[in-house]
Amino acid sequence: MLRIAQGRVYDPANGIDGEVRDVCLDDGKVVAELPAHARRIDARGMVVMPGGVDIHSHIAGPAVNAARKLAPEEHRADVLDRTAILRSGTGGTVPSTFATGYRYALLGYTTVVDAATPPLAARHTLAELRDTPIIDAAFLVLMGNNLSLFELIRDVRGDGPGRVTEAVAWWLEATGGYGVKLVNPGGVEMWKHGNRNVTSLDDEVEGLGVTPRRVLATIAGAVDELGLPHPVHVHCNNLGVAGNWRTTLDTLDTLQGRRAHLAHLQFHAYGGTPGKRPRSRAPELAEHLDTHPEHSADVGQVMFGPATTMTADAPVSAVLREITGGKWVNADVEAETGCGIVPFAYRERNYVHALQWGIGLELFLLSRDPWRVVLSTDHPNGGSFLSYPRLIRLLMDREFRNEQIARVNQKAIGRTVLRDDLEREYTLGEIAIVTRAGPARLLGLADKGHLGVGADADVTVYSECEDREQMFATPRYVIKGGEVIVEEGELRAAPAGDLLRVAADYDEEIERTLEPLFEDRYSVRLSNYPVREPWLLEPARRVPARRGGSER
Amino acid sequence: MTGTCRLGDAWFAERTAVAPPPARVDGREVAIAEAIDVAAAILTEARLPLVCGLGQTDCESQRAAVALAEAIGAVLDPTGPPGDGVAGAASQAVGTSTATFGEVRDRAEIVVAWRADPVASHPRLLPRLRLDRPGRAAGDRDRMLVVIDAERTATAEEADAFIQLPAELDFEALWATRALVRGVSFDRDRAARLPLDALGQLAARLRACRYGAVLHGSGLAATGAGYVNALALLVLVRDLARIAHVVALPLRHDGNARGAEDVLTWQTGYPSAVSFARGHPRAQPGEFSAAGVLERGETDAALVVGFDALAHLPPAAADHMRRIPTIVVAPIATETAAAARVAFGTAAGGVYREGTAHRMDGVPVPLRAPLTSPRAGDAEVLAGITARIAREGGS
Repeated sequence: MLRIAQGRVYDPANGIDGEVRDVCLDDGKVVAELPAHARRIDARGMVVMPGGVDIHSHIAGPAVNAARKLAPEEHRADVLDRTAILRSGTGGTVPSTFATGYRYALLGYTTVVDAATPPLAARHTLAELRDTPIIDAAFLVLMGNNLSLFELIRDVRGDGPGRVTEAVAWWLEATGGYGVKLVNPGGVEMWKHGNRNVTSLDDEVEGLGVTPRRVLATIAGAVDELGLPHPVHVHCNNLGVAGNWRTTLDTLDTLQGRRAHLAHLQFHAYGGTPGKRPRSRAPELAEHLDTHPEHSADVGQVMFGPATTMTADAPVSAVLREITGGKWVNADVEAETGCGIVPFAYRERNYVHALQWGIGLELFLLSRDPWRVVLSTDHPNGGSFLSYPRLIRLLMDREFRNEQIARVNQKAIGRTVLRDDLEREYTLGEIAIVTRAGPARLLGLADKGHLGVGADADVTVYSECEDREQMFATPRYVIKGGEVIVEEGELRAAPAGDLLRVAADYDEEIERTLEPLFEDRYSVRLSNYPVREPWLLEPARRVPARRGGSER
Repeated sequence: MTGTCRLGDAWFAERTAVAPPPARVDGREVAIAEAIDVAAAILTEARLPLVCGLGQTDCESQRAAVALAEAIGAVLDPTGPPGDGVAGAASQAVGTSTATFGEVRDRAEIVVAWRADPVASHPRLLPRLRLDRPGRAAGDRDRMLVVIDAERTATAEEADAFIQLPAELDFEALWATRALVRGVSFDRDRAARLPLDALGQLAARLRACRYGAVLHGSGLAATGAGYVNALALLVLVRDLARIAHVVALPLRHDGNARGAEDVLTWQTGYPSAVSFARGHPRAQPGEFSAAGVLERGETDAALVVGFDALAHLPPAAADHMRRIPTIVVAPIATETAAAARVAFGTAAGGVYREGTAHRMDGVPVPLRAPLTSPRAGDAEVLAGITARIAREGGS
């Protein structure tokens, strides 16, 4: 039992915007009232929010681990000592698993979604999440370049997604995943055909009888039909290419009327001509999102300094390799996806980097509905999650923002509307939306991102401070599942978090369809593919899909 | 058992034969708890303990071994036979272009075995790559196998082309092939010992393919210049990957060598040669490699997991290991276990214990337990030692 007494509470999901009140926690949940003798935290003069929820991050699995291997220099410079309650580790842009859990918790984040796991490697991701303490974690399953699904998509007759629906549910169940991720649909498969790509939604994926548009529409349809808590999560085609905003709009048009979430929208908001200098098309995309309540996005803000780019969009990494001339990993995953990694640094004076930074800020400042345009840096692609406090200051503090705008490449800023005196300053309530309430709602996590009775007892308490970066970098208290985890900027406990996975029913007949496709496509047998090992899957919480509108 | 190769059959037979006693101290059979007490005391008293082996146990036991190494401030280095994993440090330096084996099977038009002899070392690999059949993605194009080695190996016998190359010329040959791939001119007279015509044909074939794969083995380390040779090979593949879709895959000796590197990496940030002596992970290949700390006499106790260290370590390292108290956790009888101060005979993963292993291409696969055993597995013994040390008050 714990009473967080008399703090200023920001709980936008319940319409609470800075009221001074108590938050009562018992048995891992928010409760209405507690006896007077319950332990209390005096939160007078402090700001109380639900624990942070990261909708799009890369924290576990084979790509993250390959990136760790590439970064011994970063790890040497940033170490964590073993203590009586903590395991040791290393940091940098790609921290070790224990360090990842600790540092998210120290930042006041209690729920994190890993955005890209190859289904074949689900065991690897699950094993890493098991070693990532404190935070509850979920992962999205890569399905946009899956040859078996392509075959089913090609054979769909009529309007609906047909058997693709059952196959999508089967894959989620086989992996322990939470939702469906599409990365450059069709393009990653083409990368394996002699380093090619697709450039429009109507390019045919060579020899496979599908197009990116067909993949998008069919799988989005399947996700809708299954009633998954999180809509299809799309990394559009043409990431990083000048002029790609048209592809992004085309993608949204294809998904019109269906729920869809676009990942790291900033990387897909460029005007101009391919091969030439890009410019910003953030205003047009912000406008589209404003008028389409079924669509949402996370921003994928770029922050100046070191980063590690890691993506299933392997052809993009090959472009970055040519820019840096440095370390590069490519890793093809049979019949499913690819992977590319390039360590990177964003520089203020660089035109493209400054433009990317500016476009991210435009998306934040121009979007009218913070519930549907939420905060991410696509960690560690645009920068580490440790840069969120600085990003929050950029959003909340106009003077600071204008100082920063003046420092960076001015040609790039001239290609944005940032000089048009965007006066908007995010309020604490809006920050609570883009960092917890919004992501939780978009993910369909009913127990996360709010402080209503019955919500998970994940709470972050900040000391009020004019410097918002400092305020959000060092929460005064972080409570996870009712337990005080962080106090005065130090970890007091490091319990295991839960795996958050979806529960989606499927017709078991689909295995008969998949079996011959598996024998043909994979180097593992179908019987060895689904994860069944309890030590990898537990402790887990199942979030039910609502197929046909009903709970299973 | 079905679907196993002769090496797999031997592996399984060894683990189901008469097992070593569950616990011995100085050759005397004892209760597990007593052996754990002695092991914990040795490791607690040691100034710089070493944890090595790990490539033949499952990921769950590797995880327990890292936790124990951290608790005792040990040096931990996954260790296999000499030359195994030679490309690991090189891939940290430049990265790598790689793939899972299913991609090689279905897409590769050309497979190059550079100082790798899978017919002998991995008998099921080439049949599974189905090089005798057209790949789906390769269409009707011919698929070919090219072998580069010092002698005509068993794999060379099955190859479409064999390029004979003395081991000491690996680096020169890889560098010359780079030049040939990139069309950079060089002094051919000074490369007179190299089979330049054959390498030129190889370069042309790799340039012309849509998907190619280079398998490489511990043979790259045959002349002691393994790191440089591996670097040259990875840089060659990187150059090729700008022209065609070319990937490289290391062939590993131990069944879960890749898992040991992966587990160590996610827990510490480094794949090998990690010291916990200062309370946090530091990595320095060479300085903290198992052979290094043994040869220099820096370690004063060793914990060997599932590895016959004395049979595989360089002689000077093995000599030092014979002089220090050693603890062995392994499911089979080995020379190292026979010589150890404390030896645990465990229930083998993949026979009596379920677990996970990472194939050498990184694909995680489940290990089943077709048989049952009342014995503890590697993970349980390692966790038992860690718990015993924690009870002692060492944090």
